[in-house]
This record gives sequence, structure tokens and C-alpha cells, in this order.
Amino acid sequence: MSDKPISVNENYDQQYGFHEQEKYVFKAKKGLSKKVVEEISGMKEEPDWMRAFRLKALEAFLKKPLPGWLDPELLSQINFENIYYYLKPTEKQGKTWEEVPEEIKNTFDKLGIPEAERKFLAGVSAQYESEVVYHSIHADLEKQGVVFLGMDDGLKKYPELVKRYFGTVIPPLDNKFASLNSAVWSGGSFIYVPKGVQVAIPLQAYFRINAQNMGQFERTLIIADEGSSVHYIEGCLPAGEQVSTGLRWMNIESIQTGETVLNSDGEEAAVRATRARPYRGDLITIEPLSGENRFRLTPEHPVLAIRREEVRAPRKSRGKWLGEVNTAKLLAAEPRFVEAGKLCRGDFVVFPIPQTTRDDSRYTIPVLRLLGFYLAEGSTFVHRTLRMPVVVFSFGSGDSDRPHVEETKRLIQEVTGKRAIEVANRKNHGTSVLVYSQPLRDLCLENCGKGAATKELNKTLMELPPEKQAHLLETYHFGDGSRYQRAHTMVRASTASKALARQLQELLARQGHYATISLRPGGPDIILGRRITRKDQYILYHSPDRRMGEVRRRGNAFLVPIKGIRRDPYEGPVFNIELNRAPNAYLASGFAVHNCTAPVYASDSLHSAVVELIALPHAHIRYTTIQNWSKNVYNLVTKRAIAHENSIVEWLDGNLGSKLTAKYPAVHLVGRKARGEVVSVAFAGAGQHQDAGAKMVHSAPETSSTILSKSICKDGGRASYRGLVKVYPQAENVKSSVRCDALLMDERSRSDTYPTMEIDAKKVSIGHEATVSKVGEEQLFYLMSRGLKESEAVTMIVNGFFEAFAKELPLEYAVELNRLVQLEMEGSVG
Amino acid sequence: MTTPLLEIKNLHVTIEGKEILKGINLALEKGQVHALMGPNGSGKSTLSNVLMGHPKYQVTGGEVLYQGRDLASLKTDVRARAGLFLAFQYPTAIPGVSVVNFLRTAMKSRFGEAFQPKEFRKEFKAAMAQLGIEESFATRYVNDGFSGGEKKRHEVLQMALLKPELAVLDETDSGLDIDALRVVAEGINRLRGPQLGILLITHYQRLLSYVEPDVVHVMMDGQIIQSGGKELAHELEAKGYAPYETEKAPAP
Repeated sequence: MSDKPISVNENYDQQYGFHEQEKYVFKAKKGLSKKVVEEISGMKEEPDWMRAFRLKALEAFLKKPLPGWLDPELLSQINFENIYYYLKPTEKQGKTWEEVPEEIKNTFDKLGIPEAERKFLAGVSAQYESEVVYHSIHADLEKQGVVFLGMDDGLKKYPELVKRYFGTVIPPLDNKFASLNSAVWSGGSFIYVPKGVQVAIPLQAYFRINAQNMGQFERTLIIADEGSSVHYIEGCLPAGEQVSTGLRWMNIESIQTGETVLNSDGEEAAVRATRARPYRGDLITIEPLSGENRFRLTPEHPVLAIRREEVRAPRKSRGKWLGEVNTAKLLAAEPRFVEAGKLCRGDFVVFPIPQTTRDDSRYTIPVLRLLGFYLAEGSTFVHRTLRMPVVVFSFGSGDSDRPHVEETKRLIQEVTGKRAIEVANRKNHGTSVLVYSQPLRDLCLENCGKGAATKELNKTLMELPPEKQAHLLETYHFGDGSRYQRAHTMVRASTASKALARQLQELLARQGHYATISLRPGGPDIILGRRITRKDQYILYHSPDRRMGEVRRRGNAFLVPIKGIRRDPYEGPVFNIELNRAPNAYLASGFAVHNCTAPVYASDSLHSAVVELIALPHAHIRYTTIQNWSKNVYNLVTKRAIAHENSIVEWLDGNLGSKLTAKYPAVHLVGRKARGEVVSVAFAGAGQHQDAGAKMVHSAPETSSTILSKSICKDGGRASYRGLVKVYPQAENVKSSVRCDALLMDERSRSDTYPTMEIDAKKVSIGHEATVSKVGEEQLFYLMSRGLKESEAVTMIVNGFFEAFAKELPLEYAVELNRLVQLEMEGSVG
Repeated sequence: MTTPLLEIKNLHVTIEGKEILKGINLALEKGQVHALMGPNGSGKSTLSNVLMGHPKYQVTGGEVLYQGRDLASLKTDVRARAGLFLAFQYPTAIPGVSVVNFLRTAMKSRFGEAFQPKEFRKEFKAAMAQLGIEESFATRYVNDGFSGGEKKRHEVLQMALLKPELAVLDETDSGLDIDALRVVAEGINRLRGPQLGILLITHYQRLLSYVEPDVVHVMMDGQIIQSGGKELAHELEAKGYAPYETEKAPAP
């Protein structure tokens, strides 16, 4: 194994190994002081009232103790002195794409954000470090007067509007974390929807914490004027990964939404979304048996694998020798997704055999056999002087080549109806078979391409039934292959085309043979006394009558041992794609990997946002969050809405990631007949505490509210529901219903409910229901009695548990949520 | 002699220390339909749960052989994939999981590589139509808010799609009106054939006038006390279980 890092993708480094220099215009010092806050405000050229607002908030923050009721053990670990409170990556914020500074634009260009925007986003507002650097809005919306800006920009352009509403829903002294945010806030979104305007497309923003020890203090203010409606989606970018994929070994970053790739079952699936993110950290290089199939990914990227330690034979490992594997155990083991960083040499990764088969009657056996010869020995060109299209097959002159020469001639006759010409080539002691035929030239070019290093099969050929493909492989191996006998038969083939090598590997897999690919680097060489520069050769080995090493076939896949695994530092973008159907896992260099998880940094980060919503009479605001922060992030967020007469405010809140989340979206129902709704789900795994809930404050008559809270804990994770329903005396005829369900996966996990009801009015109807259940024995039994394994049954029950939330989400978010849950659940049972 | 599809030998089962089955013996051949009748509390449902491997029950004696294999060490899902099927008397609701998603997953588990995703929808629709189930049923949550009749049809629908080799139908007739009963019975009859063995657990004789059994067993207090032809069912219908009760368990 070479120790030089090698990319999965050809030209990866030239094309995509970019990284932008840190050109922060201003980087505040770590820690918090009056000076830092003043600097931030000064940098932003803010009006005096905002500076005063910040300073007042800072004072409050420094005075207030940490909330005593919230997980003191985790909370006390935050070191407020060790956080950068402000980083500004660039001087200017652009409104149109053209105005965006070049470096940032380069980044986003390669991240595909403008593409996403063109396609389905009404506006993208990406929080890069602290500032919103690029943001735009759909032209239609702009015409209707909808404002969707970064918060800083909003303050500059709509100072009156911002001054009127900013901090009115959540005053700077509200709680310690709101104070902190008010003092150092940066970025976030400002949205104003004018009277009567219905924004049909969800407005979306992505937030991510890029730097270590970086705080993220965005501030969002949404004002929906009378009779308007808007849906805002906030996602902490649910991560993205690198890695190539698919039928034709494309670079992952060049894959576009809608294209077809193979999923981990070897079946076709369409790409539903592509994602990219900047990344700084280690990358893992996994080299399975077959060096040229190595692939790189981030350490937390899930790879379908079987751990060697789980399928070991009783015998021990010794020195460099790995412990022997018990084949029966290996074949009985169920591959599951394991984080790349946890894999070891000797673990097995999964190489699914492509399953798509489409016959095409135009591909007769003679055509396929001829194409096989072409692939190995053929070339085609237009004869310069004769101006005739030529296809030439060059063979050796030995006796062993004779049958192939004869067969090629016969096939040409059969396929083209023309007679082939045989020419003895004295210069290199070879025999050439050639034919002047435009149709044959077209056929060859269309199906196999041309040029030794660039030959590539087309999709139709790749998908023919394997028994037909066998013919192409057979004649191909007559040419480029050699067969030799050791203890068993080995077949070696070599080609200068990397694409073809990988395709041949796939074709052989469809025949039931796992072939390895290794690289013989090119360079100066001497053949028959002539000095030549040889191209890189990709050498395929397979054995038709024996397994390769420890490789085993299991169903529609090969289990392939990892020969080497390496960790290298990396800085640059990583990519990920998302498929439209389960399993949402794709093939990296032929091996099955899942898409995504959140980025993980070495030290803890703090996210403390403030979100204020104002729904004026008859307005409708829906605010959706799917939070999948990495598991070292403190996510302490204050979210509150004011709902005026006849308005509706809905919070949809999904919490999967983070170390500690404290979030209680609130609705203050101040106008008659206003309605508030919170649907929240939380998932707490090992080391996580999700303290989530909702507040409904009824201060006007005939207001109504619904709270639905669902949480799942496993592996010692902890979820709490903390809720308040308050009804003031003047608020008569109020209806409120609260339901919280908790599902515990094991004995170590913990779920608590802290519901508070303060009802000071008469004539109210309040419903409260809370359940805590273990995954039901009867449900498990029912599903298992239909053949589902225990783990599959649990995943199904859990996804069903979350369904009430998921069905309210736009499709791509629902799929994302399901997948995240599944990922969290994997390995939780059995 | 060929191996019976199902052979129960002197089976003893307890739950929470209480013995429910007290030495059951039964042999069922491929292609046969056996009816197991008995009053409430006689242990019929316990037997069906034990056959499917419910973890709540302890087998304290005897054995169950399925296609000659001892079932004792096999988990529920393994039994299911081996072709054992239980139509539940009270199927559990799985909120949030749609029928179509559930069945697709179940079939994938049951048939493995032989499962044809492309054929699934067609097959699924056809099976629903045969049982007079509306298409909108597919997107409802499994057993969630189903009426008694819907639950039973759903069980038979699963049986049709999962193509078991041994089906245990636990009171599939209970709670059905006469029309629903006929549809369900027709469904069962359609599946009946030389490749399928059926153990029909029922309280009443009425299902047996639609699905004619080859053998009828009478179960009382954890034991099979009498076995015979279909005429036994008629006898029970006429006289009830009372004669057996006095005969078997005289009041202390």
C-alpha cells in the first residue's frame, strides 16, 4: 500500500481538492467582554440602538446564573471563555450571485448551491461561519414584496421594521442564553411577508458550525402580516459526504439530482438530492482486497460491513496474521452500517452485484462476441487517403491466435455482411483483420468507445442478461486476457482504461466472480527492444473455479475483506447524495456505504439561536426545524411566537443530534381565536440529553393549542418533556390538548415528563395525556411473526412512532428523518 | 412413512408459572385442514402463540416438530421465514406503519432474493381485490382503528401474500358478520391446497360449514380430549362443550 493519499475520483485533487484560505475580515478574540461586543457592533456598522441592545444583553448574560433546572452536569461543561463569538468571512454581503465575493462564490459554486436554488428553493440563506454570505430570493416573491434577507442585511435595509419588532417577542433579558444571543448575534434570517401574500414554497436556510470552538448565534425574525402565510424551514445541514458511485463510476460531485445510480442492493435508484459541505478533519481510506477499489470517506460515514471480531473462528490471531474467519458465521452474519472510523483491517465490506437486467434483441451473440474482440484488440478510424471507415482487429501471429482470427472474420461476415480482409503485419509479427464498414464502426463506437485508455461500455451492454454478457467477456479475454494454471485457474486481463476495468469487474461480478483490480503504473519501458512510454495498466484477476482469498458470496453481494485502512488529515469539500428509495445507501468504488451523518469536531460547540415569529391577524406561520447537530454541540435555543387574532402558528421541531438540546417553542396567543401548535420529536442516544417541550400561553378568549411531543431514548440517552400551558383569567373558552409519548428502547435510558398547567380561567377544556412505553412485546412479536428480524421490527415501530411528525414534513425532510432514525437505531437490538 | 408437516408431542407449556398446556399431541399432514375446537380458556390461543414462538410462554416439556425440525431453538422470525404463519385473533396495532409498507417488508423478509419488487404492487392489489378490500386500505396504519372484520381480512390478506406452508388461524371467524365470514372463508379456501397445512382454531362450528376440515380436535383444559372427522364438529354444535366438561373435570 502506498502511503500517498489517493482519491477515489480521478483528478479529484485538481478539480475538487480546493480549499479557500481563511480570509476572515475580522476574527473576534475568544471569550466575551464589552469590548468584543462593541467590536462586533462596530464591524457591522450598526445603529446605536442595536449597540445599546447588545450591551444591555451582555450585562444580563454576565449576571444571570445558568438555569438550575436544566441538566447541570452537561451544562456546567460549557466554557464560555473558550468560544469565538464572531467570525466574519468577508467584507461584503452579496445579494445577487454576481455580487458574492469570488472565494465564497467558488466554494458555493462547487457546493452546488446555485443549482439547488434554481431548481426548487425559493431562497437559500446559508450561514457560513457567522455571517450570511449568500442569499437570494425567488423573483416572483420579490415582486410580491416578500423580504427574505440575512438578519444583518435586514437591519440595514429595513431599520424601522426591525427596530419595531426585534427583541419584542424575546426580550434580551428573557433567559441567559437569549441574553447571550442578543449580545453577540450574527446572521440568521429576516422575513417579512406583506398583507395577503401566500408564500407557496417553503423558504429554507441551512446552518452549520464550521470552525472548532465556534459559537453560532443566529437570530431569526419572521413577520407575517395580516392574512399572509409562510413556511420556513431551518435545517442544520444534515451533513454530506464524499464518495463516488454508480453504474458508470461518476465522480460524486458531478452527479445531479434525477440521475440514476445503484443502491446497496445493486438496484437502480434515482438521486433525489445532492449535498456538499466543507470539511476539515480526517478522512479514512479503505482499501478492500482489490487496491483500485479503495475509497475515502469521513470517519463517521456509515459503511455496510461485517466486523471480523463477530465472525471469528476460535483460533487466535498471531502477529500480522488476522484471526481466522468462520465461514458459516460470516455467511450467517447480517451486514450492518458501521462508521468508517471504527472499521479495522480484516473487517468485511459489501460489494453488491448489480441487478438491473434489460435484454435487447439487437445484441445477438455474434454482435457481442465481435464487440468483445473489439474491446480487446480493435480500433477504428477513417482511412485518410481512401476516406473509408475502418475497423481493425490486431492479433498475434501465433497458432494460439489462429482460431480467434478465424472467428473474428466469421463474425464480421455475419454481422456486417461484408468480407473481412486479413493482413499479415510483418513489422510486429502480427495478423490484422480489417473491414471497411460504417455500421460496424458506429456499432463499436457507440458501445465501446475508442482509444485504449478511454474505452468504455455503454449502459445497454452493462445491463444485458449475464448469460449474454458472458460471450463478450469470453472473446474479450481471448484478446486482453491470459489464463494460467496454478493450484487453480487464474484469469488475468489488463486494460489501459480505468473505466473499462471497473466495468469488467462489474460484468464479472454478474457472472458470479469477484475480480480484483490493481494498478501497474505506466512509464518508460522497453518492449521488443523499442523504448516506449507505457500507459497505466489496470490489471484484473479473477478465478473462475476458486474464491479470491477470503471473499465470499452472500446473496447478491460479495463480502470482501479490508486489506488496509488509513486515516489522513483533509480539508476541502465532501459530498453526499441521497437516493429516492430505500436503502438510501450507494456504492463507493463498488462498496456499499450509507449516506451521511453530521460532522463531528474535536471540541464542543455552542449553538444558541433566538427565533421570533410574529403572526398578525389571520396570518399563518409554520416553522420547521430538523436539528442534527453533531453530538458535541450544545443546542440552547429560544423560540417564541406571538399569535394575533385568528392567526395560526405551527412549530415542527425535530431534534436528533447535539449533546444537550434545550428548546421549548412557545406561542403566545394574544388575539381571539388564535391557534398554536407544536409537534416535536426527539431522539436521544448515548451521551445525549434532549430536553424539549413547548409552551402555550393563552391570554385571549377562544384560543386553542395542541402539543404533540414524541421522544425515543436508547443506549442510556435521556429525553425530557418540559411543557407549560397557561391560561389567563380573561381567556375564556380556551381549548388545549397535550400529548406526550415516550418510547424507551432499553432499561438504561431515561424519560421524564414535566408538564405544568396554570389555568386561571373558567370554561376551558384541557386534555393531557402522557404515555411512556417500552417497545411493545406484542408489536415485536407481530412483526417478527411475519418474518422481520428483531432489529427491522424495532426500526419499523420507531419510524411509525415518528410518522405523525414525518408526514407533516416536505418529502425530502421526511425521508431524511426516517433515514436518520434508522441510522440511529441500527445495531440497537440483538 | 413421511414426516408430518407438524408434529406436536406431549407439549407442556406454562406462563408465569401456571401450566396452560398439559400434554398436547397432534400430527398434521401437508394439505390437511385440522380444526381445533374448545371453550374459552382451554389453551387454544396459547398453543397458537407457542407454535409461533412467543417469548412469553415457557415450554416445559415435549416438543414441536415442523417439517421434522425441532422448533424449540428457532426465533419467531426464523419460523416465519420457514413458512409458518399465524393469523392472530387480536392483531396488534402498529401506529404510523402503513399496510403496504408493512406487507412489502414482510414479503421481502419471507422470500428474500426471490421477492420481486416490481411484481409486488400488482400482486398486492390482486390479493386485496379477491378479499374485497378497498385500495385505500393500503395506506392505513396496520390494525390501527381497524374494525374486527378489517383485522381478520388483513390477516387473511397476509396469509395469501406470504404463502405459508403451515397456517395457524386463531379464531379468524370471531367477530365477523355473515358476509365477512363468507369472504374470509372463501379466502381461506382459495389458499387451501396440497402444499398448505391449516390448523383452524375456532370456538364455533359456523366457520367449518364453509371451510371443511379433514380432522376435528376437541381441546379442554390444556389437553386434546377427542379427535375425529368433521361430524364431531356438528356434534359439538348440537350438544355444546358441557358433556366434555363434566366428563373431564368433575367439580371438586
